[in-house]
Amino acid sequence: MTISTERTSSLPTETPDGRPLPLAGVRVVDFTWIVAGPQATRILADFGADIVKVENESHLDSVRMGGNPAEASHRFNVSGLFNNLNRNKRSLTINLFHPRGRELLEELIAGADAVTENFSPGAFERMGFGWDRLRELNPNIIYMSLSGFGHLGRDSSYVTWGPTAQAISGLTYLSGLPDQPPAGWGYSYLDHSAGYYGAIALLLALRKRSREGGPLRVDLSQAETGMVMAGAQMLDAQVNNRPSQRSGNLLPYPEIAPHNTYRCAGDDRWIALAVETDEHWTALCDVLGAGALASDPRFGTNGGRVEAREELDAAIDALTRGWDTRELMYALQARGVPAGVAQTTEDKMELDPQLAARGFYPRAMHPILGEHRYEALPFHMQRFGWQVRRGAPLLSEHSDQVLAELGCDEDEIARLHEELAI
Amino acid sequence: MSTGAEGLRIIEIGDLGEVAGKLLADAGADVIRVEPPGGAPARHTGPFPGDRPDTNSSLHWAHFNTSKRGITLDIETADGLALWWKLVEGADAVIDGSGHGALDAAGGGWEEAARRFDGKRLVWCSVTPFGREGPWAEWASNDLVQIALGGPMMSTGYDDHELPPIRGGYDHSLWMGGEYATIAILGATAGFEAGLADGPELIDLSIHECVSCTVEGAFPNWEYDGRLVQRQTGRHSSPDPTPAWQFPSADGPYMNVIGGGLPRSEQGLDDVLDWMERLGQVGDLRDPKYREAIHASPMSPNPDRRHFSEAIQAFIGSLNAEDSYRGAQDLHQPWAVVRAPEDNLDDPHWTDRGTFAEVEVPGHPEPVRVPTAPYRFDGVTRQVRRRAPMLGEHNHEVYAGELGVSETEILRLAQIRAI
Repeated sequence: MTISTERTSSLPTETPDGRPLPLAGVRVVDFTWIVAGPQATRILADFGADIVKVENESHLDSVRMGGNPAEASHRFNVSGLFNNLNRNKRSLTINLFHPRGRELLEELIAGADAVTENFSPGAFERMGFGWDRLRELNPNIIYMSLSGFGHLGRDSSYVTWGPTAQAISGLTYLSGLPDQPPAGWGYSYLDHSAGYYGAIALLLALRKRSREGGPLRVDLSQAETGMVMAGAQMLDAQVNNRPSQRSGNLLPYPEIAPHNTYRCAGDDRWIALAVETDEHWTALCDVLGAGALASDPRFGTNGGRVEAREELDAAIDALTRGWDTRELMYALQARGVPAGVAQTTEDKMELDPQLAARGFYPRAMHPILGEHRYEALPFHMQRFGWQVRRGAPLLSEHSDQVLAELGCDEDEIARLHEELAI
Repeated sequence: MSTGAEGLRIIEIGDLGEVAGKLLADAGADVIRVEPPGGAPARHTGPFPGDRPDTNSSLHWAHFNTSKRGITLDIETADGLALWWKLVEGADAVIDGSGHGALDAAGGGWEEAARRFDGKRLVWCSVTPFGREGPWAEWASNDLVQIALGGPMMSTGYDDHELPPIRGGYDHSLWMGGEYATIAILGATAGFEAGLADGPELIDLSIHECVSCTVEGAFPNWEYDGRLVQRQTGRHSSPDPTPAWQFPSADGPYMNVIGGGLPRSEQGLDDVLDWMERLGQVGDLRDPKYREAIHASPMSPNPDRRHFSEAIQAFIGSLNAEDSYRGAQDLHQPWAVVRAPEDNLDDPHWTDRGTFAEVEVPGHPEPVRVPTAPYRFDGVTRQVRRRAPMLGEHNHEVYAGELGVSETEILRLAQIRAI
């Protein structure tokens, strides 16, 4: 990949222990907001890309509104969700209605590798950044849009949030108990997924451009991210001519039993476990002290257990209710049975020794929020690295720095401030 | 025109990384899936056409292995192991999803690769349930256990907490793990292709971590406010209860109406009220107090918001789902039918986008449509390059054609079940 490294010399190119950040030198002019888009560019920022987050008063990232500012000047800068999604990035505010402001933004785009946005289709064009204009500004640009239905297609103007896309894609429908309404996902899962696929698409686009040249436009649909994950169910519906089904916490393929989530002692505490083999079954019965189940020949094979699934689930649930959920997990894992606590965030962040041992919640400073934990990238590397170097930028924190890199001197920057161009 | 992964040769083994292999193969990489002579466990995962299990016709396999080539190899034989290293030698990346320590035990794992390929630009992506090290590294897990341990389960389910928290659908820990493995492989590849380091590179990916970071608001609620989110029916979990936003339609399907269906703008309010009025269902909603209510927080227990939302619920209950979906979206309201996945197959919007590619499934007489990766590159037709491989389908092509193994040697290797 051919990428230039000279422009962003103010940013680190390696981790504190000297491993190269693989995207150091890549610059993205990032208009994304809320969750899905910032999730995509966050991954690139962790890899060392210079993500210049562009906002202005009419396009403030609304996730900035969260948190409880102690002082008026802290407004827009104390959202924990924003902090996690936008760490390592730089913040530039620019007034698109000021001629010099717009000109400087266009210069930034002219020198960038990619432009990203997740507005409703058409909005970015109305801001003056249609595809033709972007290509004119930078004939080698990558332009990636993330939207619910994508930019191409008759329903592209449809309005979506994460849950809207989850509903249309089929993911909401597939989640839940068969005799209950859909449970869906208890958060905007597809804002994560669209971000992950957005990062993949940008990495592919950078590689494609280095081999074939630019410009290059990428049109990502959030609802399609849900559909690709439901592909096996779509095939089943077509091939076997039957509708998709919810199956709660059961496993239909391959059908095994027990495979469920059971109540433990305490307030709303649960354990998930799966009996994949006869050895697992014996071990489960041993741990639970269920000698009668273990010796019942009807349950000696998976086929028999599947047949008696409801009876077994009720019997196991009656036994697990007496157990502390973590103690039961450790007892079952010691016997090789796949079992896990339905962990709360407190469990994960304070009690999960695996996440702790792997440093999954690294700490970094934020100028107002102070030191906090962040969700790491979920893999370790050896030769290369990723970073959680600093928290999310304060609104406009890097405006002067970016303008100086574009060649503005101090006098001009002061003048632009006076004229509300930045 | 390419989709960005052309020129990469990737060897994939085991079931845990098959999403990464699929995404990279669909994007143009030459992904060779290595299976034991009896076939990978994923081949035996249903559903199957006609519910008849068959080595080559798993629909799980058909979707998770598009565009790959497939070969067989028993890494636990000396001949198989020798072939394995020949394959790795010619590769840009290895995706090892065979489980914690399995390849190392067979002598074909990362430790040996690091010794053999010192200095070579090889990406070795280890996809394990919990990572290569740590107190849980050797623990047993499956998708249900991963979704429980990582946090999505406690955020997902029903208002009634007598009902269990829910694993959302199928195989999502594999998707989360595979998506991040793809990101990691492409990231390391970018570093190699920019000449930033010599290899080989180990990526030690933990599915537990991939799931753990895919929980949105649950993380900041705890880290910043010390609060735990509670699961609710068909909507976001929250530290405090929030109003419902999933209502049944006249013809059965549920509608998802975020914020309880209340418009967020004055224009939207006028549009929705006019629509309800045309259908004789505006009731008392023209009262100015409801105009105030749309500006209250959707999370608030505001009684006027609740009343408005109940009216929306009744309105939705009087309409067929597709009609309220289209009707609301025509007014720029974010309402959606809770569709079964297959309901999208005949939606012309996806046809416009070329979302679905046709692919063969062994054991089924006609091609079927499969959703492609969710990004469109200008000028590139979305397709899968080939259906998922049959067991050993590319043995001859790869062993004879690419590794230079003689015909007689291939026969011998097959006879001793090394391939």
